[in-house]
Amino acid sequence: MTVARLVPLVILVASGFYLTQAMKLPPGTVAKPGAGFYPMAVAIFACVVALVAGARVFLSPQAVRPEAPSGVTDPARRRRVAGAVGALAAFCLTLPWIGYPIAAFGFVSVVLWGLGGRWQAALLTGALGSAGSYYLFGVLLGVPLPRWPW
Amino acid sequence: MGPIDGLLYGFTIALTPANLLACFIGVVVGTVVGVLPGIGPVGAMALLLPSTFALHPATALIMLAGIYYGAMYGGSTTSILVNVPGEAGSVVTLLDGYQMTRKGRAGAALAIAGVSSWVAGTVGVVGIMFAASWLADLALRFGPPEYFAITFGGILLLSRLSGGSVVNAFVMVAIGLALGTVGMDSISALRRFTFGSVQLSQGVDLVPVIMGLYGVAEVLLLAEEGVKRASIAVVRLRELLPTREEWRQSAAPIARGTVLGFVTGLVPGPAAVLSTFISYAVEKKVSRTPERFGTGAVEGVAGPEAANNAATAGAMVPLLSLGIPFSPATAILLGALVIHGLQPGPLMIEQRPEVFWGFIASMYIGNFMLLILNLPLVGIFVSVLRLPQHVLATLVFLLCLVGAFSLNNSYLDLWVLAVFGLFGYALRKLRVDPSPLVVALVLGPMMEKTLRQALIITRGSVVEILARPLTLAILAVPAAAFVVPPLLRICRRRDSVVEAVPGS
Repeated sequence: MTVARLVPLVILVASGFYLTQAMKLPPGTVAKPGAGFYPMAVAIFACVVALVAGARVFLSPQAVRPEAPSGVTDPARRRRVAGAVGALAAFCLTLPWIGYPIAAFGFVSVVLWGLGGRWQAALLTGALGSAGSYYLFGVLLGVPLPRWPW
Repeated sequence: MGPIDGLLYGFTIALTPANLLACFIGVVVGTVVGVLPGIGPVGAMALLLPSTFALHPATALIMLAGIYYGAMYGGSTTSILVNVPGEAGSVVTLLDGYQMTRKGRAGAALAIAGVSSWVAGTVGVVGIMFAASWLADLALRFGPPEYFAITFGGILLLSRLSGGSVVNAFVMVAIGLALGTVGMDSISALRRFTFGSVQLSQGVDLVPVIMGLYGVAEVLLLAEEGVKRASIAVVRLRELLPTREEWRQSAAPIARGTVLGFVTGLVPGPAAVLSTFISYAVEKKVSRTPERFGTGAVEGVAGPEAANNAATAGAMVPLLSLGIPFSPATAILLGALVIHGLQPGPLMIEQRPEVFWGFIASMYIGNFMLLILNLPLVGIFVSVLRLPQHVLATLVFLLCLVGAFSLNNSYLDLWVLAVFGLFGYALRKLRVDPSPLVVALVLGPMMEKTLRQALIITRGSVVEILARPLTLAILAVPAAAFVVPPLLRICRRRDSVVEAVPGS
């Protein structure tokens, strides 16, 4: 199953799920539309578009397909992206538990090191970035950033 | 208040120290963002949006808009000196701009780009003054059917005009419309698609979606590409003056680009990008020596640079006069106004003239500031490119995260940013434009509300909605965009068949 064939299937499944959820809402009437009226219209539109996209790929192989993603075969590139995505997920997961300063320090250090920076520079930039952004947002702009847990 | 009186009043607002400073910060940030390949004006506006919460609405709008049109100036600098477009609206400029640099005419290219941008930006602001006022007067006659037609027609037109296939654009629109239904229904107060989450009852916020699609996605792409060092051409101050011949060659393209750009900006879609391609094509078509294009033709820099700045001005007209944004950048501006309790549209011009006219006047001032910043001080902005790109990318990444969290102190917004960052990265790899998703997310709730109101008013008569003259006129435009091109293709095919038949 290629990416080009997978994408319309995913869209169709998602549209179908959205339609089933929309059907649980009261549709009302055309003269007095309810909360489900518009979502059902959007869901039907989404299903139709997904079917058309799927038909273009499955029934007309010579027609324009979503192009295969570029640059995915190089392992070093994939590692860098995976590292950045992993750091992003770790930041979102750990922020409520360890607080912003530590989470930001870890995030900047890991991403910078993953992008090819030296570990000493990564740690230093992490510390400065964390402190600077905490001061800018937490102190100057008054955003209640989660602090350290103790 | 007439346009001239309004403008004079606007200068009294724009020339206050706070607004001058906000304008200066906006255009400097915009220029830096435009110079740096990677984060574009939309991502930068989304990042700075939380920092405008404490400001006066006029000040916030002035600063954010300064980033938007400032980026158009900055983007051309990188295109001309480094052969890399700083932002999407400067892609075409590098075709001839960098070739001028290779011929030792970098200074002239920068000067022409700067002056073209200034002329177009200034004329564009005059256009906003008159077009927005006129359209706002017309919009006072609009009811729910007309607003539904504008939002529906705008989404259709955007799908037709955005790059790539219409089917892909419709997929993006469907996702954006579906996302716009999450949360509490504005009419019945029923919770929709919240799956029991209290945070989702507020709906999906636009800013983390934009930061993810444009900011985080760009950083992930930079992470994939790895660290690169740009080779930057050096420009001395004394080399900035074009020759008299170069000025003569630029005049007509600047005028044409300004008009084309402003009109393109009125239309839904990636106006700044679209206008540059249209302008380049027109200049090549009308030139007596089209073979010079691509080798350093001054017209190839002057026209597109005028077009993209005029387009940013044109894009403000539907936002200010109707309260309807047709692009992600103007969607951010709408978000800023709504956060400050303002609803842009025909009534804002009457009820909050200090915001509308102060903003207009500030655009004159901002364009003038940009002309000064981008010519003599071009070396300072270009030096930003010498900073390590991976450090800049990482810090921008962090700013996206903290910016998203600071909007509503919500962990959900962080996850929205992360998910849409990944999604935006996937879209870039698949070469699908995400802007229909963003515009549909903004216009979708408006479209639903006006549709339901229109159906209630007409007791469910769709014919009565469509038969209104203004509604018909508005829907005719996207209908033509879908119907006319295939008809033209059929006519051309028929002509070529007739020509091919011997003896015909």
